[in-house]
Amino acid sequence: MTNMAEDLKATHVTDAASSPSGAPSAEDRRRTDRKRSPREQKKRTANMVIYGVLVVLVVALMVPFIWMLSSSLKENNQVLTVPIQWIPQEFVWSNYTDIWTRIPMMGYLQNSLYLAVIITCLQVLTGSLAAYGFSKVRFPGRDVLFLAYIGTIAVPWQAYMVPQYIMMQNLGLTNSFNALILLQAFGAFGVFLMRQYYMTIPDELCEAARIDGLSEYGIWARVILPLSKPALASLALLTFVNTWNDYMGPFIYLTSNRLWTVQLGLRSFVGQFDAEYAMIMTGSVISVIPILIIFLIGQRYFIQGIATSGMKG
Amino acid sequence: MTTETIPQAPAPVQSRGNRKQARRNTLIGWTFILPNFLGFLAFTLIPVVAAFALSFMEWSSFSAPKWIGLANFERMFASDSFWIALRNTVVYALGHVPLTMALALLLAMLLNRKLKGIGFFRVAIFFPYITSLVAVAVVWNMLFSPDSGPINQFLGAIGIANPPGWTSSSDWAMPAVIITSVWRDMGYYMVLYLAGLQAIPTELYEAAEVDGASAWQRFWNVTIPSLRPTTFFVVVMLTVSSFKVFDLIVVMTNGGPGRSTTVLSQLIYQEGIGEGKFGYSSAISLVLFIIVLTVTVLQFKIQQRRER
Amino acid sequence: MKRTTLAAIALAVTAGLGLTGCAGAAGPAEPQAAEGKTRLTVSVWNYEGTPEFKALFDSYEAANPNIDIEPVDILADDYPQKVTTMLAGGDTTDVLTMKNVIDYSRYANNGQLQEINDVVDKVGKDNLAGTDAFNIDGKYFAAPYRQDFWLLYYNKDLFKAAGIEDPKDLTWEKYTEIAKKLSTEADGKKTYGTYHHIWRSVVQAIAAAQNGADQNSGDYGFMEDQYNTALDLQKSGATLDFGTAKSQKTSYRTMFESGQAAMMPMGTWYIAGILQAKKDGKTNVNWGLAPMPQKNDDGKVTTFGSPTAFAVNKNATHSDEAKKFIEWAAGEEGAKAISKIGVVPALQNDAITAEYFKLDGMPTDELSKKAFTPDTTELEMPVSDKSAATDKILNQEHDLVMVGERSVSDGIAEMGKRVTSEVLGK
Repeated sequence: MTNMAEDLKATHVTDAASSPSGAPSAEDRRRTDRKRSPREQKKRTANMVIYGVLVVLVVALMVPFIWMLSSSLKENNQVLTVPIQWIPQEFVWSNYTDIWTRIPMMGYLQNSLYLAVIITCLQVLTGSLAAYGFSKVRFPGRDVLFLAYIGTIAVPWQAYMVPQYIMMQNLGLTNSFNALILLQAFGAFGVFLMRQYYMTIPDELCEAARIDGLSEYGIWARVILPLSKPALASLALLTFVNTWNDYMGPFIYLTSNRLWTVQLGLRSFVGQFDAEYAMIMTGSVISVIPILIIFLIGQRYFIQGIATSGMKG
Repeated sequence: MTTETIPQAPAPVQSRGNRKQARRNTLIGWTFILPNFLGFLAFTLIPVVAAFALSFMEWSSFSAPKWIGLANFERMFASDSFWIALRNTVVYALGHVPLTMALALLLAMLLNRKLKGIGFFRVAIFFPYITSLVAVAVVWNMLFSPDSGPINQFLGAIGIANPPGWTSSSDWAMPAVIITSVWRDMGYYMVLYLAGLQAIPTELYEAAEVDGASAWQRFWNVTIPSLRPTTFFVVVMLTVSSFKVFDLIVVMTNGGPGRSTTVLSQLIYQEGIGEGKFGYSSAISLVLFIIVLTVTVLQFKIQQRRER
Repeated sequence: MKRTTLAAIALAVTAGLGLTGCAGAAGPAEPQAAEGKTRLTVSVWNYEGTPEFKALFDSYEAANPNIDIEPVDILADDYPQKVTTMLAGGDTTDVLTMKNVIDYSRYANNGQLQEINDVVDKVGKDNLAGTDAFNIDGKYFAAPYRQDFWLLYYNKDLFKAAGIEDPKDLTWEKYTEIAKKLSTEADGKKTYGTYHHIWRSVVQAIAAAQNGADQNSGDYGFMEDQYNTALDLQKSGATLDFGTAKSQKTSYRTMFESGQAAMMPMGTWYIAGILQAKKDGKTNVNWGLAPMPQKNDDGKVTTFGSPTAFAVNKNATHSDEAKKFIEWAAGEEGAKAISKIGVVPALQNDAITAEYFKLDGMPTDELSKKAFTPDTTELEMPVSDKSAATDKILNQEHDLVMVGERSVSDGIAEMGKRVTSEVLGK
């Protein structure tokens, strides 16, 4: 379970036939162990009900997104009509070609991606390291320090934005990606999330590894990290999304147009007295796509459970 | 049942505990924390402390700050707007935190299974969080529309004579905002719960099933206790984000009608960067910080006691 | 297998984009001034969407080959916030554009701007509309180059169809009357007699201007008639109700350009917008301009407006060049450059007005021309360090009156009470 490729394989084996060597979930085991037909029947009905619930739910959740999609295919002065209009009078597909020339959308996408990828990587790495310190190593002052971390999450950014900017300006870091990376990569969010997840991993595992002669760093890298893939995936996903959708940070720190991110690019359609909502919606639809890709990759890690027994043995 | 819940964590270090060991542990602990802590200290903690210092000063951001002691706090506690915003923020948190948490957990349980196309459903639940806020505000406001909105038509159909005015009424604007925000955020916290559910050892369920526990008992005696660390995280993050709520309210009601949905972070924004009273806005942030920290420490203590 | 492939492809794409992102980040270097040229930086909002800036800069560079103007492009939405933050960090941008007088008063009163009395004198105080607004104890820290004021847009076709003559010499009573007449409903599609946007100025600033009242005074009795008019229009269905307009983020452009509103009080900035929309074939509205409806029928036209100005940053790198630019931009040459694209310059004389009406697509009837030369243009909001805080309170209370949660008299009383205690500190 220490290298990724092996692990991916393992997942697939589980997927295919829930082999005993993998780590089947409780659900699966029940399914394979008792193949009595009424039970199967019941299961199928249950699944149908779940599908039904999910479909209704999804429709309810997607309504605003559908409006966004529909608006992205309208003329600008047809977007905010009273009453609301769900289907465009005529489909303005050209919005999707125009946006690339109206603003340097490709450059903005690249900038956003660059920032989101770097910040996510740093956040996941430093966050999971610090979380190990906060959850598996005991030393004096640990909890107080931890509370300081959480406490700062509670301070709204608007409150310390200006002092922070002055500091950055003095360091000569404003108007560069570095400023944003430094500000956002070391947030408390990742530390906190990973710590909570590590708390659920039994200490016996670490203890056993210590007895086997692994150093603390070894335990982190070879025992804890492989076990915390679902948490790492969710941290990466949420950090990516938050960085990708951040507006105020890039707005304050990135002045040159060539450094702008997608969110800034979209806001450039807002004028002093009115806004081009059709273009904004077009851009919003485009900017959702990378998030979807990341999500589809990330959510694959939510399907395996940990089998602690195998570890203990 | 209870004996089988979470494997009890012995204190591995203290049991061996001599001084040298403690010092070594401190060293090891810090090397883990340091990479993150350095960045955190320099770019977050120092500015935050600077902002707190400003709350005892008068500062327009153009000239040198002037020490004025507690004057900002006196002004704040005498101000209607502060108390209204504080009350609104607390009301919002009281609505938003439990509802989002319950729904996020429910969704995570529903989606934590192997079904064909489950990936699609998981993404779909996450969609509200990545939909443009303007779209969210426009569509939800349309749904809430007092006369022609589907919500009020439904309420009328089931025999409610005087359906609420939602976002155009002072009394109902906050519930409308809470409903929208729960709808938007539950997918986000579902992701966290999904990760948490993965960490529950399957043996616990198996053992419970052997003991003949019903689904409800398994949920209550296995899932809930095992999810405690995740729940702590979710509760704290939800509390914090509720107390800091800003974007959604700005786009949806902009604090109105009147001041009925104005929250603290809006006040901080308006007074600080909007009107240049940075000392005063820092004072409000300090109060916000103390409230949230108190709530968090309480939750932390409760969690620690439960763990023991 | 399929899943792994998918993941691998997605990862490759991400990595690829990330790498090119790196290249994009290193990108083209910061534009440097060419040999022997001075690089003048000017803070602007929404550079692409606000053509007046480009018009000004291009003309100025053509006239002054030794100057290279570099716009510092800031999003329109949070322009003042960003400028405030930048200045707090000691930014050295040369020219700062003052989006409104409230921000101007903050920057000027805090010593962030250089005094430019000589520039204002050279252009001529009397020729520049709205200069008074920038007078702080005899000192000027900015010079206006643009002056938007409010007038009444109307849809000529809808007027003709209803058999109503063009809206000449309107009083508010007359305006209400024809707005009601113009409201129709056919095939489930409603046409409103007029559209009042949700901004408080639509009621409050016009009331202050026509009553000679001060919005910072803490006494708001003068707004009563105007509120009654606005609420009456709303109640009778002659305008879209405030709650809907606000929650649906109704676009005033949509209301007017789609023919859903026959009249609309709005600022002159919309002229450039509607000209563009017609040119692009996005609307076929047959529009005209009329003066704002008046309180009295003495034939005098009083409206309100707000100037936009350039100022010199205290920390400017090129102060002298910045002053020269402002002198040019506020003067005749600058005025010509921006009126060519439908923007109303602060410098007003017959030649420039004549030039303005030569614009392609501009209505040229007498009424429209008359609308363009109001007798008095009051400031939308007085220049004072109290204005920002008062503005916030008046906005909140405006909401409550317009959605009908407070009666007009209660609303006005509450405004007075709050402004007096929270802002004036009495």
